[in-house]
Amino acid sequence: MKDCESGNSHADHLIVERVTKNFAGLRALDSVSLNLKRGEILGLIGPNGSGKTTLINVITGLLPLDSGRVFIGEVEITNKPPYEIARAGLGRTFQTIRLFRELTVMENVEVAAVSRGCSRKEAKRRALQAIEELGLEGWVGRLAGELPYGLERRVEIARAFALQPDFLLLDEPAAGLNEEESDELLNMLAPIPQRKGLGLLIVDHDMRLIMRLCHRLHVLSYGKTIGEGTPEEVRRIPQVIEAYLGKRAAGG
Amino acid sequence: MKTQNAILLWLKSHTTPFLLSIPLLLLAVLVQAFGGTLLIRIVTVLFINLVMVLGLQVFMGNSGILNFAHIGFMGIGAYTSVLFSMTPQAKAATLPDLYPFLRPIHLPFLPSLLIGALAAALVAALVGYALMRLSDAAAVITLFALLVIIHTILVHWSIVTNGPRTLFGVDNYTTLGISAFFGILIIFIAYLFKETPVGLKLRASRDDRYAAASIGINVVQVRWAGFVLSAFLAGFGGGLWAHFITSFSPYAFYLTETFSILSMLVIGGTGSVSGAVVGTVVVTFLREALRAIENSANIAGLFQNNLVGFTEVFLSILLILILIYRPSGILGSREIRLTSEDLRSVTASSQTDRPVPSSTKEGKHV
Ligand SMILES: Nc1ncnc2c1ncn2[C@@H]1O[C@H](COP(=O)(O)OP(=O)(O)O)[C@@H](O)[C@H]1O
Ligand SMILES: [Mg+2]
Repeated sequence: MKDCESGNSHADHLIVERVTKNFAGLRALDSVSLNLKRGEILGLIGPNGSGKTTLINVITGLLPLDSGRVFIGEVEITNKPPYEIARAGLGRTFQTIRLFRELTVMENVEVAAVSRGCSRKEAKRRALQAIEELGLEGWVGRLAGELPYGLERRVEIARAFALQPDFLLLDEPAAGLNEEESDELLNMLAPIPQRKGLGLLIVDHDMRLIMRLCHRLHVLSYGKTIGEGTPEEVRRIPQVIEAYLGKRAAGG
Repeated sequence: MKTQNAILLWLKSHTTPFLLSIPLLLLAVLVQAFGGTLLIRIVTVLFINLVMVLGLQVFMGNSGILNFAHIGFMGIGAYTSVLFSMTPQAKAATLPDLYPFLRPIHLPFLPSLLIGALAAALVAALVGYALMRLSDAAAVITLFALLVIIHTILVHWSIVTNGPRTLFGVDNYTTLGISAFFGILIIFIAYLFKETPVGLKLRASRDDRYAAASIGINVVQVRWAGFVLSAFLAGFGGGLWAHFITSFSPYAFYLTETFSILSMLVIGGTGSVSGAVVGTVVVTFLREALRAIENSANIAGLFQNNLVGFTEVFLSILLILILIYRPSGILGSREIRLTSEDLRSVTASSQTDRPVPSSTKEGKHV
């Protein structure tokens, strides 16, 4: 089944150039630029309402942007329809989980491969691989709407894996998970970018997870970039300490 | 050997259409052999209804969009097919102003049915792409408007429809055997469609269209495909019905019929082929029973005034109760199927001649 190999651009970078997005007078993103390399994990952090989800929505075409441009390698994807952006090799998950609730776990994951032109048989094979990577083997026949919360996140990630994207944006994958579940998720995600040659962007509030998982961080506050660099570098930026890590970090 | 095993494996995981069609096939055979005229008519209508309801399920069940236009496509199929199947003499009698190029055409039944179905599919294909961009209430209202438009055209295009008057002189080709054959065939078509790549993508888009787009599904395109197939089946059903009833007017393809077909699907369960089949059977027979009660009450003079609309009111109340207490219908969205446990226990018990302990069966439908 050659026809459904990932078929992506195999570009090395996802490039976001000076993106601005307004919501009726509110500047949710103010000239934000970032660069996600394949094989790396980039953490996108910032206080609530700083524009992280909006940035993901703008990159994936769910929201139109007001100015700026987005590229996968050389290919411009600015304001393309979401399904075209997905097919260009960009996957995502949602902050509020979006599963196909009346489909089984298997179908949820499989359909991502089917949408890349795989036959049902080949799609099942690909889905099974993603399902194993996320430890969902015991749940394949269940309806997604009947899953415990902690597993819903994993199905969403497995689905995105089955798309075989070059870049994957995860919006708060550890939200609502307890410490144990969140550690489990961390262990599953950590080796993926190297193994799949995938650029992974993660939004999360769990600083323990972010600091351990991410190679680089990008910090937003009120829609503006206030810091970038390795976790160690970012930790020392005064603005970041003030805006995000707060009094506790500043005092300690 | 290997392909044989693969086929067996496939059949084992797709028992639904067989489980649904075997009882219906038996019913058709028994009624054909032993039934009187009335029962034969009722069961013929049952299978035509099945074509209509399953056709509706193909789009509505898999896309989640309430489709009021379905019966409009039935009308297109009915009128188009009879224009091709009627004898030139019959056309001259009922449609004196018919376009000259249509007058001499006289095709056999099956090609006429296919042309009717294709005409409905073509109309759906042309108007569908724009409509399929809409979701939720906007889509429902627009599809309702489409029903009104199709109806208005049927009423006013007298040259080919005889206007609001009854068109007569259609040959009676739709026997019980023919309607049963197509009814059962369409069970398989509707079931298999769900399992095709397009059907799977459409079901995904029904559950969440943003998530569907995020994995590369062109939601408008898969909806459009489902809509066109659904219209094709409606057109086909319209042709079957036209050659059963043999005389009809555009009012046959309007609100009453829309309500009737919709209620069968909703009562049975929109989300599954099994629900569509069960709803069709239940409502068709219930309706006949209610009508019989209504008629005998009127004949016996039980009430001072004749009982009118008893059947419709009863079905409406049933529909409301179902929507309140079981909004996903009698069967919901799960298909009737033998699970792998059922199949294993069937083989196990036939090998050991011993009933399987019930504990092994537990939890399979959880
Ligand atoms: N669809 C929307 N309409 C109007 N305002 C929005 C919308 N989405 C987000 N916002 C606003 O934009 C800002 C950024 O929100 P968001 O991107 O969700 O932040 P984060 O994900 O960092 O918590 C917030 O002030 C939020 O209220
Ligand atoms: Mg957010």
